[in-house]
This record gives sequence, structure tokens and C-alpha cells, in this order.
Amino acid sequence: MTRVFDQTDSSVVVVIGSGAGGGTVANELAQKGIDVVCLEAGKRLTLADVVNDPPTMDERMGWHDERDGKPVWLCKTVGGTTMRWSGVSPRFEKHETQALSTYDGLEDTCLIDWPLRFEELEHYYDLAEDKMGVSGTHGTPASAENNNYKVLKAGAQQIGYSRITSGRMSINSVARHGRPACRQIGFCNSGCAIGAKWSTLYTEIPAAEKTRHFELRSECMVMAINHDKAGRVSGVVYNDASGTMREQKARAVCVAGNVVETTRILLNSATSKYPTGLANSSDQVGRNYMRHMFGFALAIMPKPVNFHRGARQSGLVYDEQEHNPKRGFAGGYLFETLSLDPLNVAAFVGGWGPDTSQYNDSYTHLAGLFLVGEDPPQAGNRIRLHPDRKDHNGLPVPVLNYTDHANTVAMREHGVTRARAIYESLGAVEFWGGEGPPVGCHNMGVARMSANPEDGVTNGWGQTHDIDNLFVSDGSVIPTSGAANPTLTIVALAIRQADYIAEQMTMRNL
Amino acid sequence: MNNNNTSRRHFLVAAITVSGLATATLASSLFRESAAWAKDADKPLSRLARLLFPHGALPNSVYDDVVAGALAMTAGNPAASDLLLSAEKALNAQVVGGDWYAADEQTQLAAMNAVQDEAFFPAARNLFMFALYTHKECWKTIGYPGSSREYGGYLERGFDDIDWLPETAR
Repeated sequence: MTRVFDQTDSSVVVVIGSGAGGGTVANELAQKGIDVVCLEAGKRLTLADVVNDPPTMDERMGWHDERDGKPVWLCKTVGGTTMRWSGVSPRFEKHETQALSTYDGLEDTCLIDWPLRFEELEHYYDLAEDKMGVSGTHGTPASAENNNYKVLKAGAQQIGYSRITSGRMSINSVARHGRPACRQIGFCNSGCAIGAKWSTLYTEIPAAEKTRHFELRSECMVMAINHDKAGRVSGVVYNDASGTMREQKARAVCVAGNVVETTRILLNSATSKYPTGLANSSDQVGRNYMRHMFGFALAIMPKPVNFHRGARQSGLVYDEQEHNPKRGFAGGYLFETLSLDPLNVAAFVGGWGPDTSQYNDSYTHLAGLFLVGEDPPQAGNRIRLHPDRKDHNGLPVPVLNYTDHANTVAMREHGVTRARAIYESLGAVEFWGGEGPPVGCHNMGVARMSANPEDGVTNGWGQTHDIDNLFVSDGSVIPTSGAANPTLTIVALAIRQADYIAEQMTMRNL
Repeated sequence: MNNNNTSRRHFLVAAITVSGLATATLASSLFRESAAWAKDADKPLSRLARLLFPHGALPNSVYDDVVAGALAMTAGNPAASDLLLSAEKALNAQVVGGDWYAADEQTQLAAMNAVQDEAFFPAARNLFMFALYTHKECWKTIGYPGSSREYGGYLERGFDDIDWLPETAR
């Protein structure tokens, strides 16, 4: 039923990756009648494969290829990290897209302003929210308030916060577009068993297939992108499910491998014409890698909460997202609810003995939250290829260098202090807050959009400065991190990029 | 509060960074094979597991399972299993008379504090942590029900039943 394209067909757009960026740009192009081949390294699961068992699901959809550096949160599966994400979908605020202008003077950073008008981004946020079914938008109600959210809301109100919502979740609050409403199963990060949470696996991908302008090739690991004599990209080399090396010819290529893999593909495609890798004349590919300020808090409350019941993340507090240098740091952060299973409770609290185990002894009384905030780009935070080490595919192992900026440390301390106040206002009997183990992150940067080609890798549409038919379509293009979880912005930018690609094709520029 | 002991915290966080996540991945595939090991559980290691993560309501049999599970996780990785099995010798070396298991609890804890920077300690901690907090009897005791899909989630089972918050928040 679905279309199959010939490998020599050089009229297709090849999209690398099927997650938030790749799945979206692929479907948007297919809806416009543009032929797309989507290469995805992982397998295609169905909802029947989703079980409420995090280790099992990590085996089924996690990305376990060799890597040097802090863990990342990649998925190797159709749908990519949209299978694993929690669904929190706040927008960036305008000042966060003008980071250089707003946070001017923040030392040891590589801040820039985004090369696009925020008002234009707002239009695409609107389209993305409609596509994803973001609760509290487009006539849908906010998400149902679960116990953990009610604790956060009550505590936040007690200490004077007011911008508190259970909306802005890409988890259906009502049945919509053929997907059911949330049943408060929990285990959102192991894949939503009923498809209430937006994932490209069961939205963008099948929608694209219906157009007959789209072919998904799963279990195809991209090795490199080829170019022609003129320097334009001409095809994508990949190792298919049977272990056979193939090349799909292409009219244009969109790379959406989730930052680490996007970097690896661009750098691993070096040739005599592009000796430092594709789109890397600025030497900016892999640089300005951002992960967000992350912090966590757990509190033992005086009476039962049962925070495991329902969506793991179910609401947020915006009051600290503003830029207020009086707090001792630039940019802002969000409070978002978070529940943990007993294993993660112990892993987050750390240590051993009764100080640690008391949290699980009081498991039913736990409340928890996640702090996420601005992470300024730094020159030393970058992803490179290991000079010698190769993985099982023969690809150079990615090397991640990342350290927190002093701004991030100060912000986390502030957030933990405020989180303590939130829970103690309701009589918390014990509190833990801190960085926690590096279990996840929000990968951003490495191919950022920039007005000046020397400052970044792509223009305001994710089109690389160096090669006009090569695009970056994932969180790699985000110039500065803001405080918002990035997926909504990745989707908004991908929709916008598809409009631009179609327009450029109509104008015969591509 | 653990926050008081910063050096210990950083060390243990580092242990999770380096080996904990790899352990979790390894463990997920091997832990299910642990039943066969349960009968040979090592009593000093079982005691160590309890003192690392003490839950008064849990019977010793759960900690025996934890040790068996941890050993099963290291099967096929001799370096890891040797590391785990070196724990008893290291603890005994801290105790007058050389029998950590026979010592009183205060002495046992003092010995653990003395060796917590040795390589086996975070390895044992991480392995035991995984085995204990994925153990179904442990879950039942502390009130964590696990998978909810088969019960239709919590939509009609108390996801929003909290009733003790201040009136202004309702």
C-alpha cells in the first residue's frame, strides 16, 4: 500500500530520522505532494509492543550505541524520542529568542539572537499545538489535575506563584484526531500504551504514508551524506536492515538525528571538498551543545499523594521563566511535576542507608518536580568524533564534552530552594533537591541557526549556510535553549521548514 | 539528609554516571534469570544489601533475592562479579576478628563507611539498588503497584483523590 521509491530516484527528499523533527518535516512535505524517503535507524514498534516496564522499553527503543561522555536520551525507534518524551509543551518566550540582546554581558558564553521574528514563530507554534493536540489550546481543556500536580499547585500558590497550569501537555485531554484521551496510566517515558501522548509513530508517519508520497525505511543506519562535484548533496549512504550498504539518491536532504547523531553524520561526511565535514566551513558543527539546566526535587508529604498515579508530567509553573537578574542568573526556569518509580527515587536521592531508603519507605507520600531552565551556549560544550574509536557500524564514536555554566549552577540552586519552599509550605517532613543522576537531557544546538554564517551552521529556516539543498530539521538548530522543553519548538520549526522547502522548490531554487 | 555529606554524594553520583546506567541496561536483560541463583544467596552480601537500603518491613528473603539478582546481573562479566564478591573480604578487613557478618550493626556500619570509596562499594550499591527496587515484594511493601495498563490506568482509580490540601488550592 505504501509507496516504494527507487534508490536511483534523485527527485526525492531524504529525511534522516523519524522523530519530532524528521517525522514532522517528512509528513509536512508529503502532504504537499513532495516525495520523501525517511531513513530511521530503529525498528517500527506498535502500541502492542508498549509495556509498563521501563527497562524492557529501554531495550526496545533506547539508543545504546557506543558513545563517550554524559548519557543522552536518544531513542532508536520509529518515532524517535517522541516515544519517550513526557509531552510537556511550553512555548519559548520572546526574550528567550533574543538571548544576546537580553542577557548581554553573560561571561563565557556564545549567545546569539535567533534569526527569525518571534511573531512568525508564534504562528507556527499555533500549527504545532493543533497538530500535537496540546492540552489547553485549540478548544481542548487543560489536562486533568492529578495528585502530584495538585500538590505542586497548592504549594506554588502558598508561596505566591500564580502562573500555574495543567495545560500545555501533548497528551490528549479529550479524544481527538483518532487518538484517545489520557487514561492516567503513567509510564509516559516508556511509550504511551494507548497513543494518547503525541508521537510521530502513530501520527505523522501513518499520515504521510496515506499520501503515497512517502516511504519509511526503518532499521536503516545512516553512515554519511554524499555530494556532487558542485558541492550540493546528492545522496545518503546507509546500512540497511540486512546489513547491506546502500545509497539513496536525493534532491535535498533533511538531517534530524537528534543532535548527537546529526553532528556525527555531518562530520563523518567529510571529503576533500569539505575536509572538516558538511556545512562546517564555520567550524560550528558540534559546537554550542546545550542540554538545559536540569534539577529535581522530592518531598515526603505529611499525608498520601500517590504520585505514581497518572501522567508523569502533568503541569507546570511559569513564574520563574522571566529574566530577572536580581536572582543572580540570566534567563529563567520552569517547575514541572515529575513522578519517579522506586528505583529512580533511590537513584536520584543517591547515597545509602536510612537517609536514602526513607524516601521509598514513604513512597506513597512522595511529591516530586523537575526544574528545567536556560542553558547558555559555551565554546567548550561540543560534540566531536573520536579520532580512533569506531563502533559496531564502523562509525566513529561521538565524544560529548559538556559542563554546566556558573549561571546554570546558580539557577539550579535557586530552583531547589524555591522547590523546598513549595513543599515545606504544605508541611513536607523531608526534602531532597539537586542535580540528580544524568539520566536525561534536552539536546540542543550543534547546528544552530544564525544570521551571520560565521556564528552558526544554518539560516533561519534550518538550511545550511554552505549547501543550499542540505537542511537540519531537529533541535540542533535551536540557537539558545530558553527554559521550555524543546519538542514543541522543534515541531514548529519543522513545519516552517517544510513550507520553506516547498516554496523554494516551486521557485526552482531547489 | 544526604546533602550533608557532599563528598560522599559526589562520589556516588559519579558511580551512577559511570556504571549505574550501563548496569541498568545490563540488568534489565539478566535480572529475570536470577531465580536460579536465589538458593545460594550469600548471607554477608545479603546483610550488606539490607544495610545499604534498609526497609524494616522487608523479610531477609527479599535481600537474599537481591544478592542473587545482583550476582546474576554480573554473570558473563567476571570483572563485575569479582568486584561484588570482593565486598566480604574488604568488609572483614575492617573488623577486629575479621568477621564483619558476625559483628554488631554499629560495627558493620562503621566498616561500610570506611570502605565506601573502594571500587566495589558503588558497584554493589548500584546492583543491589536495581535488584531491590525492581523486586515485586519490595514494591508491594512500599506501596508501588507497578504496571497499570492492564487495570486501565488510574483514571477511575484515584489519580486525583488527594483530599488534604489547603482549601485555596482546590
